[in-house]
Amino acid sequence: EYEEKTGRAHRPLSPKQNVRKNLDFEPLSTTALILEDRPANLPAKPAEEAQKHRQQYEEMVVQAKKRELKEAQKRRKQLEERCKLEDSIGNAVLTWNNEILPNWETMWCSRKVRELWWQGIPPSVRGKVWSLAIGNELNITHELYDICLARAKEKWRSLSTGGAEVECEDTGFSAADREASLELIKLDISRTFPNLCIFQQGGPYHDTLHSILGAYTCYRPDVGYVQGMSFIAAVLILNLDTADAFIAFSNLLNKPCQMAFFRVDHGLMLTYFAAFEVFFEENLPKLFAHFKKNNLTPDIYLIDWIFTLYSKSLPLDLACRVWDVFCRDGEEFLFRTALGILKLFEDILTKMDFIHIAQFLTKLPEDLPSEEFFASIAAIQMQSRNKKWAQVRRMLIFDNR
Amino acid sequence: VAQNAMLGTSLEGICPTYIYKVVLLGSTSVGKSSLAYRYVKNDFKESLPTVGCSFFTQTLNLEAGTIKFEIWDTAGQEKYHSVCHLYYRGAHAALLVYDIANKETLNRAKLWLRDLEKEFLPDEIVIALVGNKTDLAAEREVTTEEGEEFARTKDLLFMETSAKSNHQVNDIFTAIAQELLQREREKASAPSPHERSMVDLGESGTRTGCC
Repeated sequence: EYEEKTGRAHRPLSPKQNVRKNLDFEPLSTTALILEDRPANLPAKPAEEAQKHRQQYEEMVVQAKKRELKEAQKRRKQLEERCKLEDSIGNAVLTWNNEILPNWETMWCSRKVRELWWQGIPPSVRGKVWSLAIGNELNITHELYDICLARAKEKWRSLSTGGAEVECEDTGFSAADREASLELIKLDISRTFPNLCIFQQGGPYHDTLHSILGAYTCYRPDVGYVQGMSFIAAVLILNLDTADAFIAFSNLLNKPCQMAFFRVDHGLMLTYFAAFEVFFEENLPKLFAHFKKNNLTPDIYLIDWIFTLYSKSLPLDLACRVWDVFCRDGEEFLFRTALGILKLFEDILTKMDFIHIAQFLTKLPEDLPSEEFFASIAAIQMQSRNKKWAQVRRMLIFDNR
Repeated sequence: VAQNAMLGTSLEGICPTYIYKVVLLGSTSVGKSSLAYRYVKNDFKESLPTVGCSFFTQTLNLEAGTIKFEIWDTAGQEKYHSVCHLYYRGAHAALLVYDIANKETLNRAKLWLRDLEKEFLPDEIVIALVGNKTDLAAEREVTTEEGEEFARTKDLLFMETSAKSNHQVNDIFTAIAQELLQREREKASAPSPHERSMVDLGESGTRTGCC
C-alpha cells in the first residue's frame, strides 16, 4: 500500500522529468505540485513521507541547478571559442593584409608565416596568397588572356555556325580533336560542382568557367582540355577575378607534376607513383604491405586526387586548405595529403579487400573531421632515409633512364 | 569474403560464389557511370566526369550460384587512354558503351573492341555492346539494327539501354552473368589447362593495376 501511494505521489513528476531534459529547467514551476497537500478526498501524507518527498525534491532542485549552471558554462565556453576563432581569423586577416602581403618576398618563407599558413588562409585573402605563391613564371598578362579568349570565341562561333574551320596556324592538331575539346568543355562545365549551382547553364560563373577553359585550350593547344581541369579552374574562380584566375590556372598547370599528369605522360606519372610508394612504405609499413598483398596500386586512387587537386574528392573547405599548403610546399604536399588520408583511415582500410579499398578511396566519406584530417597529414614524415621528396624523385627519374 | 565462398562451396556444394571483374569502356559521357549507378543503386543522377576509375560492387543471386560483380568504371576521355587501357587487364567481362544519339561513340566502341581483341582470347572475356540513352529516341543517330548487326558479326552480347529511364540495365548485367556461368559450366565439363575464374584468394594475384 505504501509503495502504491508513493508511486502515485511521484506520478505527476515523471512527465516533467522527461520534458526537463529538453527544455530549460524551471524549478519553481513544479514547486506547487510537489509541496502542496493532497486533495481533500485522499488521506493526508504522513509527516514522515512528506518530509522525505520534500527532501527528494530539494535534491532534485539542487541537481537541476547544477546542471543548469554547467550548461550555461558550456554555452559560455562555446561562445568564447567562437569569438576566439572569429578574432583569430580577424587577426589573421590583419596580419596577412598589413604585414605579410606588403612584404611578401622577404616574409613568405619565414617560420611565423609558414605556421600561420598551415592554419588555413582566411577566405578574404586566399586568392591573393595563392596568386603570389603560384607566381607568374609564364609572364601571362591580362591582354594575353583577352587574346586567347577572343580566339576561343572565334572558334566557338565557327563551330556553332558550322562554317569553315578557323585554322590555328601554329598547331598541327586536327580540327576534330579541338572540336571534341570544346564540346567536352561545354559538357563538363555543367558537371562541375553541380551542387553549388553556380557553374551550370544560367549560373553566375558558367561563362567565366567556359571562358577560362576555352582560353587555355588556345593558349596551350598541345595540352588542350583534360577532364579534371574544370574543377581546378572552378576553385580558382571562387577565389580570384577572371583574368587572375586564368593566370594562376595556366601557371599551376605548368608545374612539373601537373604538366606530367595533364599531358598524361605515363612514364613520368609512374615516377611520381614510385616516389609516393617510397614514402608510403616509410610512413605506413603495415598498410603498405596490405595494399601490396591486394595488388592495390597507387594509380587507382592517386589519379583522381592529383588531377583535380582533391577538389572533387574532399569537401570544398578542406580542399581549399589542402590547396593553401600545396601553394606553400609544392607538389610533395599533394602526396603527403594522400598519405594523411591513408593514415586517417588506416584501421578500416587494413580490414578491406581490393575492391572495397578502391571503392572507399575513390569516394571518401563526406563528413571528414577537418582537425583530425590535418593532424593526420602533419604526422606524415616526408623524409625517407634522410632523403627528401625531391631527392627521391630525382633518383627514380635517374633509375628510369 | 572469398574464403567464405570457398567454405560454402566445399561444405554444401550447392551454391558456389564467383567474383567477376567487369569493366565499362566507352567515350566520355555515353553514360558509363550512370549505367553502373543505375545497376547498383537503382537510381539516376547527373554523374561527375570520371577521372581515372571509379568502382562499384553488386551481388547477384542466381540459381546456379552467387555472382559478385566488381565493376570498374573507367574515364571516357580519349586523353586518358594511355592510363586507362590497362584497367581492363584481368577482366572477365567488358561493356562497350556507346550513345545511340552520337554515331561517333559507336566508332570509339569499335576501337575499344580492337584493343580488347589484342589483349584477350575470345573465350577469355565476355564482351557486350551496349547502346545507351534510348530515352533520347528523337535524337537517335545509330539504329538498333546497326548495333545489333555489328554485335552479331563480332559475336558480342548486345542490348540497348537507358540508365535514365531504367531500360534493360539489369538485363544486360544479368545476361553477362548468365554467359559467364555458361562458360564456367563448359569449362567444368571439359577441363582445360586454362585458369579457372572460380575465385580463391590466390586469384587476386592476377589483378594488375594500370601503373
